[in-house]
Amino acid sequence: MSIPSVSGSGHSSDLTIGMAGSGGDGIVSAGESLIAAAASQGYHAIMTKSFGSQIRGGESSCRVRIAVDRIYNPGGVLDVAVALNWEDFLRFGAELPVGPSTVVIYEEKTGVAPDKLPIVGVVPTDVFAVPIAELARKAAGTDMAKNTIVLGLLAGWFDIAPEGIVRGIRKRFAKKSAELVAANEEAFRVGTEYAKSHPLRVPRVLKRPLENTGGKMLLDGNDMCAAAAIFAGCEAFGGYPITPSTEIMQFLTREIWKYGGTVMQAEDEIASIGVAIGSSYAGKKSMTATSGPGMALKTEMLGLATIAELPLVLVNVQRGGPSTGLPTKPEQSDLFQAAYSGHGDVLRPILAPTTVADTFRITVEAFNIAEEYQTPVIILSDQEIGQRKETADPIDTSQFKIIDRLKPTAVELESYNRFRLTESGISPISHPGMAGGNYLASGIEHNEHGDPTGSGALHKLMNEKRFRKLDPLKQRRDLFAVEGDVDADVAMIAWGSVAGVCHEALAIARAAGVRAKLLVPYLIYPIAEEVYDDFFAGVRVGLVVELSHQGQLYRILRSFVDVPRGVRQMTRNGANPFQPREVADELMKLASAPAQVRGAAASAGVTQ
Amino acid sequence: MTTNVQGIDFSKLSLRDALDLAILVEEEAKERYEELAEQLEQHRTPEAAKFFRFMVENEAKHRADLAERRRVLYGREPSTVTRDMIFDIEAPEYDEARAFMSLRQALEVALRAEQKAHAFFVGAMPSASDPAVRALFDSLRLDEIEHQNLVQAQLDKLPPDPVAKPEDYGDEPVSQ
Amino acid sequence: MTTNPLLVAKDFKSDLKPIWCPGCGDFGVVQAIYRALAGVGRPPHEIAFVSGIGCSSRIPGYTTAYGFNSVHGRSLPIAQGIKMANPDLLVLCAGGDGDGFSIGGGHVAHAVRRNPDITYIVMDNQIYGLTKGQLSPTSPCGLKTVTSTYGSFEQPVNPLLYLLSYGAGFVAQATPADMAGMASVIEEAIRYPGFSFVNIQSPCVTYGQETQQVKAHRSQMKSLASVGHDPANRMGAFELASHYGEELYTGVFYRNPTPPPTYDALFRGRQAELATKVPRDRILDMFVQR
Repeated sequence: MSIPSVSGSGHSSDLTIGMAGSGGDGIVSAGESLIAAAASQGYHAIMTKSFGSQIRGGESSCRVRIAVDRIYNPGGVLDVAVALNWEDFLRFGAELPVGPSTVVIYEEKTGVAPDKLPIVGVVPTDVFAVPIAELARKAAGTDMAKNTIVLGLLAGWFDIAPEGIVRGIRKRFAKKSAELVAANEEAFRVGTEYAKSHPLRVPRVLKRPLENTGGKMLLDGNDMCAAAAIFAGCEAFGGYPITPSTEIMQFLTREIWKYGGTVMQAEDEIASIGVAIGSSYAGKKSMTATSGPGMALKTEMLGLATIAELPLVLVNVQRGGPSTGLPTKPEQSDLFQAAYSGHGDVLRPILAPTTVADTFRITVEAFNIAEEYQTPVIILSDQEIGQRKETADPIDTSQFKIIDRLKPTAVELESYNRFRLTESGISPISHPGMAGGNYLASGIEHNEHGDPTGSGALHKLMNEKRFRKLDPLKQRRDLFAVEGDVDADVAMIAWGSVAGVCHEALAIARAAGVRAKLLVPYLIYPIAEEVYDDFFAGVRVGLVVELSHQGQLYRILRSFVDVPRGVRQMTRNGANPFQPREVADELMKLASAPAQVRGAAASAGVTQ
Repeated sequence: MTTNVQGIDFSKLSLRDALDLAILVEEEAKERYEELAEQLEQHRTPEAAKFFRFMVENEAKHRADLAERRRVLYGREPSTVTRDMIFDIEAPEYDEARAFMSLRQALEVALRAEQKAHAFFVGAMPSASDPAVRALFDSLRLDEIEHQNLVQAQLDKLPPDPVAKPEDYGDEPVSQ
Repeated sequence: MTTNPLLVAKDFKSDLKPIWCPGCGDFGVVQAIYRALAGVGRPPHEIAFVSGIGCSSRIPGYTTAYGFNSVHGRSLPIAQGIKMANPDLLVLCAGGDGDGFSIGGGHVAHAVRRNPDITYIVMDNQIYGLTKGQLSPTSPCGLKTVTSTYGSFEQPVNPLLYLLSYGAGFVAQATPADMAGMASVIEEAIRYPGFSFVNIQSPCVTYGQETQQVKAHRSQMKSLASVGHDPANRMGAFELASHYGEELYTGVFYRNPTPPPTYDALFRGRQAELATKVPRDRILDMFVQR
C-alpha cells in the first residue's frame, strides 16, 4: 500500500507524471519509454493515455505513475506536469489535475510567464519554462527530439530510471541508424544536464526499488485479456473493430494461429458473435470482444447462447455512452446492459477485472465459468484497464485450473439427450463430429432431446434448469475481496477500475484513524446476496463508488440486497476520473456525520 | 417421366433388376403415403389421412407380393438397383397434399399417382429388351389399371365436394 | 473425416415430424437433401446443418445431422464459426428468402468473399410464411400482401445475380417440380470445393400465388442444359440469371472451373505455418521487460 508522499529527505517513493502535447510532439511515446524503463528497473508503474478525437496529430496526453510499491490506479493530482503547449494540456482538464505541489515543466516558447500559468486557482511552487525545442535542435539537430529532452529532464530532476531510458533509446533507434542513437543519447544527456543546473526548490528524487525486482511484465488490459484467453484454451475469436477493445482482436490475430486457433474479423458485430457461437457449438472455446455499441448489436445472439446453453466469453471494454458516446474514455455505464439487455428470462454471469494484472485471472475464470455452466459470460472491462499500460509481476500460471465442458459418456451417447434435466442443471454437451451426440441446437425452446416445443410446462423446466445451474456461482467467495477492518461500520464498495482508487482511498482513511472496509466484487452478477449481507452486517455508513451517472451497481444491489440506509452512492460520469484523496475525504465525512437519508452523495464534486 | 429415373438403362435390365425396381417403386409409394398421412394427421385432416393410411397398406402389400416373387426366383442374390435411381414413380407428389383436403381430393391424389405409375411402365416397356422384363412391366401396368379402377369406383360412390371450401369456414392460419 | 457408401437417404431422416403445411415445397427440398447427403456419403454426425428463422429454417431438425436452428438471418456467421472450429465437418446452411436476403442479407456477400467450403440453400418462396404472408425481399413488385395492402412499391432482389456478383464459385437453382434435378444439383453444390449457393424455388402453399406452385413450375421450368448454357461461362450465367422472376431456369448457372483455395484451407495453412511448440502457459513471456 503506498500513498503518494514526499519524504523529508527529498526522496519520493511514488511519482505521477502527466504530459500533454500535440500528436507530433511524441509525448505519448515519451511516456511509453518512461514506463518501459521503469518496468525494466523493477518499479511498479501504470500509464494511461488520452487523446483528442483526431486520428492523427490531435492533442494527446499520458499519465505515468511510477512507484516503489504496488499501485492500483493511475494516481491523483500530478506530481509532475509537462506541457509542450498549454492549449493541448488544458483540454485534458480533470485527467491532468495540477495542484500546489505539482512541479510544472513547460515549453518556454509558449510565451507563458511562470507566474501566469493558465491554471485557475493554483500556484505551484516549482515551475520551469524550459526551451525544450531549442535544446532538442541543439543536441539532436531537430525539434522532433523534444520528447527525448523531456525524458532527460525527468531523469535529471527525479532520477527516474535513467539507465533504463538509455537502454530504451538504444533499442528504439538502433533499427534506424547509429547517428540517431547518438543524437538521442545526446538529447537525453542535455535534458539531464539542464535539470541538474536548475534544481527544484523541493527535491523529489525517486527512490530506487528496494531490491532488484526487474523482469516485470508491462502490458495493457486488452493484451492481458487476449493472452489469458489463449492460456485458457481459446481457439476461436470473432471480432469487429471497435474502440477501445480492438487490441484484443489484434493480439489474437497475431498469436492465436500458433496454438491452432482462428480469428475472423467479421463483417459486423452480429456476425462476430455468431462466429464465436458457431465455434463453441463445434466444440471449441471461443470469444468475442467489443464495446457498448457493439454489445447492443450482439444482444440477440447472447440470448441464443443462453438458451442453446453454449459456452461463450464476451468482453465489453466499456467506454462512455450512450451511442457513440466517448469512445476513448472509461465509464462503468454498461452494467445494466450486461445484466439486463436482451429479452426473456436470462441470467448471465458478469465478471469485472480491477487492474491489468487481475485481468488475467478474471479472463481465465470467465472461460472456466462459461465451460462449466455452458453459458455466455461477460467480462466488463473498461477503457482505462483495457488500454492502460501497467507493470505486473510474472504470473504463476500453474495455480490456475482449466475447466472444460462436460462431455457425454459412451453410455450417455447411446440414448443422448442434450438438455437432460439434471439436478445440477448441467447436461453433458456433445459437438458435431461426435458420433451419437447428434442433436438440434436451437434458439427456440426445446425438450430434453433438443426438439422444438411450445409447451409451457417444458419452458418452465428449462428456465429453472438454466437458472439452477448458476446457483453455485453465488457461493464463490473467492470472487470477492474484502479489505480493511472487517468489523468496521464504515464501508465502501467499488468494482472495475474504480476499485483501485478506492483501495488507496481506504488506506488514506485508515491512516487518518477511520476504521473502514472495502468490498471489491469480481463477480458482479448474479448478485451474491449472502456475500453482501455479510459485508453489510453492522455497517452504518458507506459509499458505493462508481464511474457512471446513475451508479448502476448500487441500483442493482438495492433490488437484491438490504443496503443499509447510510450507504450512499458516489458517482461520477465517465472521463472524470476519481482520485483516492477525494474518495477518502467523502468517506471520512460520512464516517464522522450521523447517518442521513438515502441519496446521492453530493454529486461527488466534479472537478472539471 | 424419364427425369425421375436416374441411370437406368431399361434395355440392359434383367428380370431380377426389374423386380427389384418394381419393389422400390412400391416402397417409395408406401413411404410417401405414410408421410402424407402423418402430415394430414398433424394438420387435423383425418378422413384423407385415413385413406392415405389405407394406401400405405395397399402399397406395402404390393411390395410384399413382388418381394416374394423375387425371393422365389432369385433368393438372396444382391440387388443392383437402388432407391437413388428413382424419384416419385408411383409416389404422389408432395405438393398434392393440402390441409383440410376432402376424402374425394385424397382419392384423386391416389388416382393420379396410379396413372403416373401406369405411364411409367408403359414408357419403359418398349426399351426393355428382355421379354421377361417386358412381360413383368406389362403385368405391373395392368395392376396399375386395376388399382385405378378400384380408386375410381370409390370415387364414384362419393358425393361431390361442397361448393364451399374449408377456408370459407375454418380458422385463419396461425403465425409462429 | 469419413465417407460411407452404404448410407441411404433414410439415414438422414430424423423422427421429428415437420410442421410445414401439407403441400409445402420444403417437403421436397428436405427429401432432395437426404438424397444429396446419401450421395456424398458423409455420416450424419460429421455434418453440421445451420439455419436461421422461418418455415424453411426448421429444416435441420428434420435431418439426423447435428442441427442448429439459430436466430433470424444469422445462419451464415454461425456456419462459418463451425467451419472455423472444425474444417473437417460438412457444413450446410439453409433458410428462406427473408432470412438470407432481408434480415441476414449483409452476411451473404462476406461469406462469399471468404469462400469457406459451405453450401447455402435458400428456399425462396417470395413471401413470409411463418408470420402469415407479408412481403418478402423477393416478392414481385406490386404484390398485394397484408403489409402491402395496395401492392408493393419495391423491386424484388435477384438472389442469383447477387451471388454471381459477389463472386460465388457455384450458383444454381432448383425446384421441387424436378426432384431428381434438385437432389443432384444440391449434391453437386456440396461437392463443390468452396462456397456454393442453391436457390430453390420452393412454393408456399398457404400464401403463395397460384403461378408459383409446383404444378405451375412443371410447365415453367427450363433446364439450363436444355438452353445450351455452359456452367463455366460466368457472363452467360449473368445474362440468364437476370431473368429471375420471369424465367424459371434450373440447374447450374455458374461453377468456377478453377476453384480458388477455400477459407478453411487457407487458415489451416496459416496454423501449420505458424504452429509453435511454446506451451500456452508461456504466452505472457513476451511482455517481460528486461
